[in-house]
Amino acid sequence: MPENVNATSCNDVSLPRRAALLGGAATALTAPAVFGQPTTNIRCGFWDHWVPAGNDALRRLCAQWGERNRATVGVDFITSVGNQNLLTIAAQAQSRSGHDILSFPAWEPASHARMLVNVDDVMGRLTAKYGAVTPAAEYLGKQDGRWVAIPAVSGTQMKPACVRIDLMQQHAGIDIRAMWPAENRAGPGADTWNWETFAVAAEKCNRAGFAFGLPMGSFTDAVDWVGALFASYGANVMDERGGITVRGNAKLRAAVEMCVRIARQLPNDVWAWDDASNNRALISGRSALVFNPPSAWVSARRDQPAVGAQCWTVPVPSGPEGRFVGYLPYFWGIWNFSRVQGPAKELLEFLSDRASAEVQTNTSAGYDIPPFLSMNDFPVWSNEGPPVGTVFNYPIKAHHNARTSVAFAPAPPAMAVQAYNQALNTKLIARIAQANETVDQALGWLERELNTIRRGG
Amino acid sequence: MNLAANIHGSLRAERRWALIIAYVSLCAAVVIFLLPPVYMLITSLKTNAEMSNLQGNPWLVRSPTLEHYGTILGNPLFLTFFWNSIKVTVLTVIVTMVISVLAAFALARMRFWGSQALATGVFLTYLVPDTLLFIPLYQIVGGLGLLNSTWGLVLVYPTLTVPFCTWIMIGYFASIPKELDEAALIDGATWSQMLLKIFIPVALPGIIAATIFAFTVSWAAFVYPTAFITTPDQMPLTIGVVSTLVRGDTFAWGQIMAGALLAALPPVVVYAFLMDYYIAGLTAGATKG
Amino acid sequence: MPDSMTAAVSAPRGPESGAGGGLRRLARRRSTIAFLMTLPLICVIVGLVAYPAAYAVYLSTLNRRMDGFAGLLQFEILVDNETFWLVVWQSCLFAISAVLAKALIGFWLAHMLHHIPTKGQRKWRGMLLIPWVIPPALSTLGWWWMYDPTYSSLNWILAIFAVPAVPWLGEPWWARISVIMVNVWYGAPFFMIMYLAALKSVPEQLYEAAAIDGATSWQRLRHITLPMMQNIISITVLFSLIVTFANYDIVRVLTNGGPRDLTHVFATYAFQVGILSGNIPRGAAVSLFMLPALAVFAYFILRGVNRRNREMA
Repeated sequence: MPENVNATSCNDVSLPRRAALLGGAATALTAPAVFGQPTTNIRCGFWDHWVPAGNDALRRLCAQWGERNRATVGVDFITSVGNQNLLTIAAQAQSRSGHDILSFPAWEPASHARMLVNVDDVMGRLTAKYGAVTPAAEYLGKQDGRWVAIPAVSGTQMKPACVRIDLMQQHAGIDIRAMWPAENRAGPGADTWNWETFAVAAEKCNRAGFAFGLPMGSFTDAVDWVGALFASYGANVMDERGGITVRGNAKLRAAVEMCVRIARQLPNDVWAWDDASNNRALISGRSALVFNPPSAWVSARRDQPAVGAQCWTVPVPSGPEGRFVGYLPYFWGIWNFSRVQGPAKELLEFLSDRASAEVQTNTSAGYDIPPFLSMNDFPVWSNEGPPVGTVFNYPIKAHHNARTSVAFAPAPPAMAVQAYNQALNTKLIARIAQANETVDQALGWLERELNTIRRGG
Repeated sequence: MNLAANIHGSLRAERRWALIIAYVSLCAAVVIFLLPPVYMLITSLKTNAEMSNLQGNPWLVRSPTLEHYGTILGNPLFLTFFWNSIKVTVLTVIVTMVISVLAAFALARMRFWGSQALATGVFLTYLVPDTLLFIPLYQIVGGLGLLNSTWGLVLVYPTLTVPFCTWIMIGYFASIPKELDEAALIDGATWSQMLLKIFIPVALPGIIAATIFAFTVSWAAFVYPTAFITTPDQMPLTIGVVSTLVRGDTFAWGQIMAGALLAALPPVVVYAFLMDYYIAGLTAGATKG
Repeated sequence: MPDSMTAAVSAPRGPESGAGGGLRRLARRRSTIAFLMTLPLICVIVGLVAYPAAYAVYLSTLNRRMDGFAGLLQFEILVDNETFWLVVWQSCLFAISAVLAKALIGFWLAHMLHHIPTKGQRKWRGMLLIPWVIPPALSTLGWWWMYDPTYSSLNWILAIFAVPAVPWLGEPWWARISVIMVNVWYGAPFFMIMYLAALKSVPEQLYEAAAIDGATSWQRLRHITLPMMQNIISITVLFSLIVTFANYDIVRVLTNGGPRDLTHVFATYAFQVGILSGNIPRGAAVSLFMLPALAVFAYFILRGVNRRNREMA
């Protein structure tokens, strides 16, 4: 049974940290409801935020909404560690029971589209107020012409470059802070910040003993940065209708060659790195650059302040077809077996509005990115430090000329998700750079794997 | 005389060599087996800054700290995990032992229709991996309203423990001489008297071995609690430590290691207590037999 | 349970009398009691294993969207897929080599423990059991931390002996060895303790008799120890083989199947295909693929054990 965070008892804003860590267990001892019996009971399973305070923010927002609407909002936080959230989603979908609202990681709304409540009405009202949603969120959240889940604020991240200012200057001769200042303008040399420049810098830093920390395994950090590189070359392996576009694809070949070139300048064990290995490479001071949300810098600030003070987040390098940044969103979806679909929609609309979004972003040191481009100007990104302004360029700003990317888009999500989770793009590179296959052999393998995916539908 | 002395001498030399080899292999095994736990202990005593510092010997602690243990033990949630683990494990062990001792007694001593198939079939249940079983089990546990409850775990853990324990017990019961129970039957003992007065005491080492197995397996279970428990106040230790100390792509290594070592304590205590009994029982059983 | 047993025992006597009738009555009573005693076991197996397993088989016959029957399509697709055959090969390599190593190390250590004076055995036993006591989900994290490319403490030790840094999890063969190493480390103590128990129950008189006959230590091992331990060896090996085939935690934490799928085993691959990629039927098919082969293997081993049990009794 999900714990019930009573609306009235949880309104206490000054919840001590310990109680927050308790996951609300202390507050679950329900105090008598002051405003009479609540009429609705909504059970939410949100993503267990890597910043514990992030959970606290969501809990407080839910309590606030519940009090206003005479509802009890029970909040569970489900971790992504050990894929617990995916196990929970799979099991609840199978047994058609569980929470009303769940946090769905990137591909899950598409996988469970038929079991999710249509939220076109909510998204209509939100976009009328705040403008367009970032395109990658639309690709993942809008299935067969309808929104099946609402792009969430809490947990949604991007993966721009986190650069060591000193090492980049010393070994690659690039003053990254001048290039991408903490202002709404591009600095000198920003127009040269492309994959070519990047590959040269990777080589120079590697020679100096500070190789870039770019994972090439099967976890999201790896698949996302390679996906962003491919996207910036316009290199698709599958089109919207599921047709395989590997053979004779010059753009794909160019992207593969660039990626192999970069991969040869990486440490020899990046093939097994997970999402935390690149953080450790940065924090230890061994790496001049990683692609990561600000969590790596936050850990560095705590454990190795000298390293943390030299970190600067900048956009991903651009390619022939533009600049793309890896995007890994969460969605809030409502199961169609829920009996409180109306109130659940209202709650999600409340959690998505600008004030709520800012609360969530603030408590996560700027980590959470709202789906609406118009919200990319919260002051938190200018104020966080040291060095102050280090995450200014973390969300997409107008002068970046960047778009969000999801690896294997625009393939139909049902197939893209399989390619994504089997990390076909990093394995393609690994076959060439680690196992010394030729580009043609590796592309042949990719085609066969994609055919297997297509065959299963 | 000379020959006898020679044989005697070579026997003694052989014994001595055997002893030396034994100690050398044991030492080597202990060093290798304990390397990770020792490193875990070392890590748990380091500050976060020291851990992330690449300079110097990683096997030394320069500024030892108990902060990670303090944080963990000062966290009421961690004590809840501990209590949940103990509760689930003890109940599971009891349920397991009752089920498997009864069944093993019946399967070892009483032939009945399908008993052979059942004895073999019990073991085959392990062939269906828990990474697959959790989906249908979620429906069953959910249908009984036991999701997010330690009781749900008590319900499903026996699938991990019962088959092996039953097999161990069948083996032990089968090795008890038939004359013993025939004598008892002639004396007019009932089956229940036979089980309680003869089989359980004689097979006590086996029962303890099975208990130890059931204890360890349910203490360490991971997939089922991951799938069935999402509220922290019902989590057992294994999943609780991992889910509260690994946050996204940041790991609280010191606390994880401290938690892992603390999680190993109860089994160590149980073993220290039961092992002597176990071995003593074995040797006693052997001389009797 | 005792209640029903006494009830059955004091059931009214039938009309038959004499030795023959008594025996038949005994047999009938016996089977009823036996059935009642195994009832809890049957409930657990049917309700919590057989039914879910049947459901899993049903799942594996569906299409990806799980809204239609697809027959053996999932299996056909798997058989045509090179990555899957890689997984089959690796699972066998992983399980067989790990179980062999565990059994040999366990056997050796049990022997060594058995040899030394009883007084000292306790502390050695205690230390050697520690790997099996730490929940593997947590101890694997410890290993992972030792393997970590940036902070590897193992490489630090190797560096003392001027051995170049090993890419523990980055290079395919090293990654396989690393995974197997952790599994052996975790499982060997279990074998050791099972074998030690078996060794202790071999009657000392047999060895004494053999010594009088002038048997060498190899002959003693070959003709006394091994036959006496045959059952316990079969059961532990079989159990460990099945469990190692289904192992999930270790590969998942250490490599997640990488590099290039070269460390994937059934459980992790099934998880990746089924849960992560939203294709539950194919995940179920992966999990069920080895079931027939293992079942046949298990059947023969268990039949042997059963036969010996009956001979002993």
